[in-house]
Amino acid sequence: MVKFLSQEWAEQAKKKVLTELDKAKDLKNMNASLLNVVQNVPPDNTTIYYYIKFTGGNLEELVTGSDEALKEKPADFIVAGDYTTFIQINNGQMSSSMVLLKNRVKMTGNKMKALTITKPIDTYNNCVKGVQTEY
Amino acid sequence: MNLVDVLETTKKEPHCGLCKIDFLGTGVCSAGKKHGFVAYWPEGRMELARALAEHEVEPTETLRDIVNSCNLCGICDRQCYFVTQRRPTQAQHALQNYLKTVSPDKLKPVQEDEIVKGLRAIVGERFATNDPLIIASYTRSVIKQKSTGKYYIVMPQTTEEIVSIVNLANTYKIPFIPRGNGTFFGVALQTLLAEPASIEQGIIIDLWRMKHLEVDPESITATIEPGVTSFELQKAAHAHHLRANVAEAESCVIANAQNLGIVTTWSNTYGWGTDNFIDAEYIDSTGTIQHLSDKEIPNPYASEQGLLSLSLIPSVIVTKLTLKLHQILPDEEAIFVPFSDLPDALDFAHELARRNIGVSLAVLSRKYLTEFISPTHEIAEDFNDIAEKYLKLNYVVDVICDSQSKKIVEELAPVSFGSEMLKSLILGSSKLTSMKDSSLLKMIGEEEDPLKAVFGGPMRKHFEKGLATSPKELVKVFDEDLREFFEKLYSKPELTDPIWLHSFRILPCRMERKHMWMYRGGYMPGDKNTILKVVDALEKPAQQYGIDGAFGFLSYLERGKLAHLEYDYYYDHTDPDARKRVNKAIVESWRRQFAIRGVTPLEFICSKGLHRKEHILYPFLPGLSEEELEHFEELIETLFGGEDTW
Repeated sequence: MVKFLSQEWAEQAKKKVLTELDKAKDLKNMNASLLNVVQNVPPDNTTIYYYIKFTGGNLEELVTGSDEALKEKPADFIVAGDYTTFIQINNGQMSSSMVLLKNRVKMTGNKMKALTITKPIDTYNNCVKGVQTEY
Repeated sequence: MNLVDVLETTKKEPHCGLCKIDFLGTGVCSAGKKHGFVAYWPEGRMELARALAEHEVEPTETLRDIVNSCNLCGICDRQCYFVTQRRPTQAQHALQNYLKTVSPDKLKPVQEDEIVKGLRAIVGERFATNDPLIIASYTRSVIKQKSTGKYYIVMPQTTEEIVSIVNLANTYKIPFIPRGNGTFFGVALQTLLAEPASIEQGIIIDLWRMKHLEVDPESITATIEPGVTSFELQKAAHAHHLRANVAEAESCVIANAQNLGIVTTWSNTYGWGTDNFIDAEYIDSTGTIQHLSDKEIPNPYASEQGLLSLSLIPSVIVTKLTLKLHQILPDEEAIFVPFSDLPDALDFAHELARRNIGVSLAVLSRKYLTEFISPTHEIAEDFNDIAEKYLKLNYVVDVICDSQSKKIVEELAPVSFGSEMLKSLILGSSKLTSMKDSSLLKMIGEEEDPLKAVFGGPMRKHFEKGLATSPKELVKVFDEDLREFFEKLYSKPELTDPIWLHSFRILPCRMERKHMWMYRGGYMPGDKNTILKVVDALEKPAQQYGIDGAFGFLSYLERGKLAHLEYDYYYDHTDPDARKRVNKAIVESWRRQFAIRGVTPLEFICSKGLHRKEHILYPFLPGLSEEELEHFEELIETLFGGEDTW
């Protein structure tokens, strides 16, 4: 069991994605980078940045941390929301598209491009939720 | 009579919420007015009776209070029968009988938790609850059926109380959602939109107590709170010889403004969205009060366009809205131009829109005309058949205008009729349907141009004479104990006055007499070809999935440059198979609509009603390519799962 968004969690999640998902079939060879800004993380209501970058369907980066430098990383999309919402995405209660529809997160970035990665990102989230996580 | 006996009726409760407003001059349910929570209104009693019958909720101590609060005065039967042909007192009788069967020791009080204590500290003991029975009455009108989440209901009275509620929700990290009269939810929650339109747990902020309303006749504006319904605002405006551009009588004005921008037949001249709104006070997700007129806020009119802009939950809670009212012309008259074919009706209405004729202007379908004006659904169906088979009356260009414009319409129209004929059709609808196979109708049907023969030719007199009837005759179709009331009601001039009916809009919920419906359609360029393509894009999925689909109404905006279309899918929302089919038809209709240039389906306007047209509808988006449509299907799958799960 690893703590959600900890470095150990990030390592296990990356390993899982790289070993279990097919770049073409599952991740549609996507080229996209996404910065999740996870707000109000307990116990001190801090912000954690959760950055992922795919090139040709390959998960090149999966980094988490509270280092402000992370928010400077180049990202096609920035998604900001509450910690509780990211828990819901991570444990499969809601898809990332559904939380967007419910106004639980704010997203910036090209919406048409977002449309093209909806499915592979959903597949990615479904894979990552398999990491034994504590919240 | 027990809960199961009335289950067929209670399951079909459409949650129109008309029982909460005094639209027939009967007054409203005294228990509802006193307690506020939906459970105490006829609408809620019906839902509660259903939920108990289907074992979705266990009785609590509150059951006794809810049941005993009703004095069976019968107001709800008059109101509900007029609109939906249902009788809520039957549900009340069933609840009374059910209560007698429940052992008193089973009716336990509900334990308070910290959240409900916090809510009660904000709004007072009476207006916040975590009682499952009261929560159950909100099912299908803001809470998804069979939801297992933990909910609270709170009824604030001030903006400051809402700020405190939002802060409390944020402290406990639980979602919240405002509820006006539940009319939008009542429709959306029966479909695959239930998930994105609702919260899975959290605080329902029922805004019914926020009813402050002030008309300023000098600036010709009104400032309202979110509990004010369209009917209530219209009544207040009319007291000053003014008119508001409002949606159906029962809808809360602010909710409709915020959700859909309020589009009506009056939008031809009064406009849509921010054409009518001057300022709004709202609370954002952090509990901060803001105003549209604040200088420091980000552009409140900025909005996403297109299919990724779908958002069915408003991002703010509007607590006050100042909107424009409009002067009523002294010589307004109604005129109706019947057509057999939609393209002809569109050509005619578009020409009027371009010339700015018609304070109110719409193309109305045969379905709407017959359903709205007929006293029962059975008569509406027969009337619909007669209109189609004999009269060839399929569309009506429905105009309210000044006397000069009326002359122009009469000159341009191949044939037309006015208020007197409409009155005859309202009062004579049951007589007309009794003539279903009469020689008169057969003769009319054999005419080369039946519309001209009936409404413009020598047969008009015979037709009118044939219809001639009185309220006394009309009410014979109602339940016997209600006839005296309805005779008096139909003797009131407004009940047969098309201008009053267009302003106060008490009839549209008659669409829900037989089945639930789901609105389709949206905004599009006003040219005929695009409109016909959209109609086809909505009609085909209905046919494909065996749904009863029908054109509703079309209104023009900006002198015909834009059009708004409502097309409806009618289905039995208590039938799981029908629900599946309607969901498939909805998705297919989105796909087809998005392939057409400039079309924005109605759902994609949701939560953007306070934005300007320029930020939502312009520039006209190109239709989606095949590749983009494939991605759209993936998005749908991500959101709602595969077809089999709908």
